Formats: sequence, C-alpha cells, structure tokens
Amino acid sequence: MIEARGLTKVYGDKTAVAGVNFTVEAGRVTGFLGPNGAGKSTTMRMIMGLDRPTSGSVTVNGSPLTKHAAPLRDVGALLDAKAVHTSRSAYNHLLAMAATHSIPKKRVHEVIEMTGLADVARKKVGGFSLGMGQRLGIAAALLGDPQTVILDEPVNGLDPEGVVWVRNLVKYLASEGRTVFLSSHLMSEMAVTADHLIVIGRGKIIADAPIQEIITGKGQGRTRVRTDQPDRLMQLLAGTGVSVEVQERELLEVKGLDPRQIARAALDSQVLLYELTPLQASLEEAYMELTKDEVEYHSLITTGAPVEAGGK
Amino acid sequence: MSSTTVESTPSSPRGAESRAQRSGDGTSTGPGPSFLRVLNSEFIKFRTLLSTLILLGSTVVVMVGFGALSAWGTGQFSEAAAQDPEAAARIAAQGGDLAVTVPTSGIAFAQLILGSLGVLLMSSEFTTGMARSTFAAVPRRIPAFAAKLVVVVLTSFIITAASTLVAGLVSVPILDNYGLGLDLGSSQSVKLLLVNSLYVAAVAAIGMSLGTLIRNSAGGIMSLVGLFFVAPIAFQLIPGDFFVEARKYLPGNTVDPLTAVEHVPDTLEAWQAGLVLGAWVVIPVLLAAVLLKKRDV
Repeated sequence: MIEARGLTKVYGDKTAVAGVNFTVEAGRVTGFLGPNGAGKSTTMRMIMGLDRPTSGSVTVNGSPLTKHAAPLRDVGALLDAKAVHTSRSAYNHLLAMAATHSIPKKRVHEVIEMTGLADVARKKVGGFSLGMGQRLGIAAALLGDPQTVILDEPVNGLDPEGVVWVRNLVKYLASEGRTVFLSSHLMSEMAVTADHLIVIGRGKIIADAPIQEIITGKGQGRTRVRTDQPDRLMQLLAGTGVSVEVQERELLEVKGLDPRQIARAALDSQVLLYELTPLQASLEEAYMELTKDEVEYHSLITTGAPVEAGGK
Repeated sequence: MSSTTVESTPSSPRGAESRAQRSGDGTSTGPGPSFLRVLNSEFIKFRTLLSTLILLGSTVVVMVGFGALSAWGTGQFSEAAAQDPEAAARIAAQGGDLAVTVPTSGIAFAQLILGSLGVLLMSSEFTTGMARSTFAAVPRRIPAFAAKLVVVVLTSFIITAASTLVAGLVSVPILDNYGLGLDLGSSQSVKLLLVNSLYVAAVAAIGMSLGTLIRNSAGGIMSLVGLFFVAPIAFQLIPGDFFVEARKYLPGNTVDPLTAVEHVPDTLEAWQAGLVLGAWVVIPVLLAAVLLKKRDV
C-alpha cells in the first residue's frame, strides 16, 4: 500500500506536486493518469526516495522507502525507459542490482525469461530498442519479487504483443494481492488495464475513483445507430432529454435513450437498424472534462467525438 | 481532496493461498542492502564495463612504457655524464635517486587516467540514468557511495602498485645495461611505490567526488585536469608570493615532499604534505556524500 499525505514538490518557483493525498491499495491495479508535467513521474520518484518531498510524505507499507530494510524486496519500480548504464549487458545490470540484496542468480535468470529477454541478455543495453529497454526495466522491477510494483509508462515503446503482456502481467500481480501503481499516457490502455484511477493535473489530484465510474460519468451513455430511414427514426426517438445527432447520411448518434429503448421504438415502426452500438466516453474525453474544471469533477458531461466502449 | 480510503486489507483468495504474508503492511524479511552486498554490487558494476577495463589496462601500459623509456633515458644520461666530470659529480651527489624514481615516472599519466576513471564511474551513473536504479535499490545512498569509493580507491591503489612493480622489473635489466643498479626491495623503492600508489588512489577519490558533485563526465574530468595540471602551471606563472606559497598546497605537489629522502627547502615537510593531501581527499569526499544524500537523483 502506498500512501501520500500532503505530498509536495517544488522545483525553484514551479510546484510540480501540490500537496496531494492518495492511497494506492493492494490487490488492484491503480492507474496514474495525467498529461506531461502533471507531476506523475515526480510523484513516483518521491515514492522511490529519489526525489525528496518539499513537504508532506509518502510511505510504502507504512514507512518511507529510505527506512525499509530491504527496499528492492518491498518495492520494484520502472522509472523512465532506461535507468541502466548503456555499456553494460542486461544480465550484468540485473546481476549487480540483485547483488545488493543477495538475490540469487536463479532469480536473475527467471526475470530474464519472464520478460522475454533471454536472447539479448548478454548484449549491451545501449543497443536495445525502447521496447527491450522497457522489458529490462520491468525485469529489474520484479527482481526482488516485491509486494509493491511501480511502473512509469510501462507500455511505452512496446509492440502490441508486449502491450498485452504488460496488461496481463499487472493484472496477475494485482491478483496475487500486490500493490500495482502504473502510469500511462495511453488512456485507452488505462481503460482496459486499471481497476482504479488517480487523475493528476497541474500537481493536484483531480479524481480518485474506480475506473468505470470515471468513464461512464453520470449516465451519459450514447448509442450509435445506423439505419436506412434516419429521418423516420429521428421522429420516432424525439422526446425530452433525448438528443439525436446526424453524423453521416445513415448514421445517428443518440443521447438520452439506451440501445434497448431505441431498438424497441424502431421495431414498433418497422424501421430497419443495421448497427446499434452503445458508446462510452473515452477516457481521453473523461480526462479532458476532468481537467477542464477541477471543481466539477463529480458531474461529467462528455463532449467531442465518442469512441467505442473500451475493449473489455 | 482527501482520500476516502478505509483501512482495509484486500487480499484476494489467490493471494491468500500463495503468499499469505503478501498483503497488509508487512515488509519483506529477505536480506537487505548491507554494506558488503552493496560493495559486491559495485564491484560487479565496475568489472562489467569494458571502458573501465580499458582504462585499467592503459594505466599498466603507460606506467610500464614510461618506466622502460625513463630507464633508457636515465642510462643514456649517465653514460654521457661519465665522460663529463662535472655531470658525474652531480649524479654522485644525487646518489641512487636517479634510478630509484624510474618505476614511477609514468605516475602523472596514471593519476590522469585513474582520476578520470573515478570521475566517470560516478558521472556515468547520472548521465545514463543508472543512478535511479542504484539509489532505488539503496535509498540511503551513502552505502552505495562508500562502496563505490572503496572500489575506486582499492583498484587505483592496486593497479598503480602493480604497474609500478612491473615497470621496475622491466627497468632493472635496462638500467643494468648502463651499469646502473636499481634495488626494488630498498626502503626508498618501497616507499616510492606505496606513496605514489596511495597518491593515485587519492586522486581517484577526488575524481569520484568531482563526478558526484558535477554529475557530468566532461565537466568532472576538466575540473580534475584543472586542479592537477593547469593550476600548478598557472600558480607558477602568476607573480606574487601568495601563489608561490599556495602552490605548495596543491594536491599534485604533495608527492615530492612525501617521498623525499631528506627535506628539500621551500617545500612542505612530509607530515604537512600528508595532511594537505588528506584534506584534499576528505573535504571533497564529505561534501560529495552530503550533497548526494541531500540532492534529488
């Protein structure tokens, strides 16, 4: 469990993190979302004891990382792509990290296998692709079999297979009861990976809620309808609280009715529908909306182009 | 903006089965980063960089090469001197000093190479981002700094001592050709070997402190060169008694007083030189350690 209390980091006259409070619970994947410069990486570095908080504190399992007897066994982190000397091989890097905690060579080989680095483990890290660097970072994070795993932009630079692998890995780690804290710019990725979301903007926490709550907002579901009688259907659906938007000649977007109500209305009047897709606000939209007004984050009004409901 | 989290212990059934102690506030019970473990880690890091090994090899080559060259030059000089009564008298006055300094004649280059190595070992941590891994594993930071310092100092000492010895072994037959004797077992030979090796180890420690403070390879090496190569010359060129006096206290000018058979006028006493060199090591090392602990990585 990670707990931040009044956590603040000021660089010169710029406040990167402004007194944030949050708790990252064990047993679920907590996403950490925010644009560049919002304070995500700074927060993660403070958790790892690399940056000192200007004020406030952040603890892992009740104490700051500097007080832990075996930090690598308690917290594993991937911070930025390559926190590795470029002239050293992946194997030797892991070996040196493992040596600090007397982690056996067997475990080094395990994480190399686990992250699919076996073929390149003896090569210099400088020649690694971004994706390989990420895999090495994840291998290093898992080295101590830590209770808490912190991953900063883990899917950045990974191929689709790697993205799916990370997604499954973090879910698996959370299912084992570990604390998983993960940041990503790929908000759609967040939508399918995280259980809980902490949204940060300009150094402040904007939202801290289950992901589904953030995406769906308050009943703002929309439905995409394709029909060869769009005008007829629009007449049928018209009513209070219902808005219909014509997107293409035979493509409508309906707000205020659920797909079942739309289908019922069409069936009653013998109007043919050939697509009926429930839409959710994308996390991007939800996020835009959240950051637009930091106060009104309870009532989500989704605007802009919708995308299909997440890939679950 | 307070979190609404209640103290709950969400241990999944699977988690409860496989790792009973996973959830909650329990911290791991496995071995942590003791100093010896961190030292082992730093040694692995040291030996797994090709550039490090190249610098160590270069030191040996340069030391042995300069030793041999100096033996040859000294021999030539003594032969010419034998035909010149005045020069012969001068050599006689210096006694065996001519030959005894031959093995350490490459020391200026050894200090440059190993001092730069000291800079690089720490500055590269920051330039490559490795520091984040290093200090995430050892969040107290000082053990990692101390371990690296031990590796740097020990290696520099051993490499300098070993290459001085090899340079001596190579020089003996060359000097012998010119009828000059060099006893590597003499107390002055041993003293020169130990003091010079300690000196190079001190330079490497200063280098590592500069690398820690400046966090930039080029800047660190330039500072080192400035301190050991530029400052002595600049201090000589600038007129005024202050610089003449101050020059004695530069770290590079402490070796001669430390190894002199007899005290030379206008130089520091051996004990003074030892204290000066010690201060040149202790102050930067402490400053680097304090700032490393304080600053963000």
